Amino acid sequence: MKLLAITSCPNGIAHTYMAAENLQKAAQKLGVEMKVETQGSIGVENELTEQEIREADGIIIAADKTVDKSRFVGKRLIEVGVQEGIRHPEKLIQQFIDGTVPVYKSNLKSVEEYKKEMKSKQNPIYRHLMNGVSYMIPFVVVGGLLIALSLAIGGDPTGEGLQVKSEFWNAVLSVGSVGFTFMVPILAGFIAMSIADRPGLAPGMIGGYIAANGSFYHSEAGAGFLGGIVAGFIAGYVAKWLKSWNVPKMIQPIMPILVIPILSTFVVAALFIYVIGQPISSMMSGLTHLLNNMQGTSSIALALILGAMIAFDMGGPVNKVAFLFGATMIGEGNVYIMGAIAAAICIPPLGMGVATLLNKKKYEKEEQEAGKAALAMGLVGITEGAIPFAAKDPLRVIPSIMVGSMVGAAIAMVSKVGDHVPHGGPVVAVLGAVDNWIMFFMAIVIGVMVTALMVNMLKKDVQ
Amino acid sequence: MVTMTLSDLTSLELIDIELQGSTKEQVIDELIGKLDRAGVIESARKFKKAIIKREKESSTAIGFSIAIPHGKSKAVIKPAVAFGLQKNGVDWDSLDGTPAKLIFMIAVPEESAGNEHLKILQMLARKLMDETFREQLLAVQTKEEAYNLLQTIG
Repeated sequence: MKLLAITSCPNGIAHTYMAAENLQKAAQKLGVEMKVETQGSIGVENELTEQEIREADGIIIAADKTVDKSRFVGKRLIEVGVQEGIRHPEKLIQQFIDGTVPVYKSNLKSVEEYKKEMKSKQNPIYRHLMNGVSYMIPFVVVGGLLIALSLAIGGDPTGEGLQVKSEFWNAVLSVGSVGFTFMVPILAGFIAMSIADRPGLAPGMIGGYIAANGSFYHSEAGAGFLGGIVAGFIAGYVAKWLKSWNVPKMIQPIMPILVIPILSTFVVAALFIYVIGQPISSMMSGLTHLLNNMQGTSSIALALILGAMIAFDMGGPVNKVAFLFGATMIGEGNVYIMGAIAAAICIPPLGMGVATLLNKKKYEKEEQEAGKAALAMGLVGITEGAIPFAAKDPLRVIPSIMVGSMVGAAIAMVSKVGDHVPHGGPVVAVLGAVDNWIMFFMAIVIGVMVTALMVNMLKKDVQ
Repeated sequence: MVTMTLSDLTSLELIDIELQGSTKEQVIDELIGKLDRAGVIESARKFKKAIIKREKESSTAIGFSIAIPHGKSKAVIKPAVAFGLQKNGVDWDSLDGTPAKLIFMIAVPEESAGNEHLKILQMLARKLMDETFREQLLAVQTKEEAYNLLQTIG
């Protein structure tokens, strides 16, 4: 039997050669022919030739460094750490004698490896965001579509918004809401897990939940998905930092399940409850004050501001202030403000949905799916449908949806679109609660196109 | 052709057959002190950092009673090997749980002309896999005996 081996270690000074020596000795003892290529500080020595590889019965890679395996497609191959090569060389060789070593299939694996490599080269912040978003998408899709379905079929326009009276559709709505409840915690949790592995998950999810629920910090609105992203990163980096602590051996086993999660949760929760909560409340009252003062001045300026606010954080505090302002104005007999808001509400999800249809190259597969769900959510006025896109690529997506919503809101305002129900999207017009519905649709279409074209212009192709 | 032997990389003042330290850290400090006094390294602190960094990646104690803490650093002026014997054994977080008795500390400069010293170190690494050689080293009574054994490498 002829075997080949490659040994390599991080510094390439000692272990590489110890493994080589012991593999050779073991081979001799077991009566196997063996050649070892060493990849050390000196460089590659004793390099394996193509012919040797072709004639070999198997390859052993004992390395703590990445070794290019493309040469070994179709060969029986074992890959272990360099220590194994030093300490258990006979065991490794024995596996070939016993015939239990699988054949190395390159293509599939090396593409995966290549992808992994690409991933590790990416900006880490982006990688963590992407991890969070990819776990969040199913929750947005399931929750959003169930809510959309129940509102579209069972919805009834009232002064309180779209009410679902039928018991069945009400149940569907509640189930959908559960999906939405998990959205921000999952986003935050998996951002944190991407940073700190499993110890980050609990602090991230708990932090995300707190971020999304203003009641923890006496605020009318939670911090939305942007707050969730902040919570995820804080929880993740705190947990990662705690992991780097040198603790006594006694405590080590309980670090990842007890100490790190509890301390990280404590930090992120305290931060939201005692530090971040107050500024959010004051920002909300400041914005409300601003909107109240704008009454009577330029209605176009007001529409632009409302459009920007609605799109900015999609269900977060800024969005909430604009929405509540519109709803209050209906009560005072001014339905035009809600008209502008109703158009702005649906533009982010519809705009992103259309964007994925217009240029598939700029969106990954799961984003394309999220785009379809976003279209459905947009039709019934669920702005959150655009969150997966905004969370993944905030700097390009948020400006695009803000501009689209601003344009839509301004057009609706100028053409005196009125909405008698505190809810947005085409569904309100279909249910007969919108005055001048033709211009309402025009405003939406134009806003959607602005968003879709702008975001596709800003985004790069996915590799 | 190899013209160097391990005796070019080590010397009597870099050998200590009665290490005092009883922990990994103490032994590391002891051997670094030797390298420092022999003028091999310009900063003990920087070199220790390189050593510790390598130990953190994975323990350099691979069993067989051997530990080879090694560091590649700008703080190293010329390549060298310090050898210490701790007959009681030191806990070095080795993979097989056995203590390290033969401790070779290897100092390699970040960049250096030629790689003859790397060849020597390679031969040292290979030689250490030889059980007879290890037993001889463990049995030395004087520095000189250890030095004579080591200079056979190369």
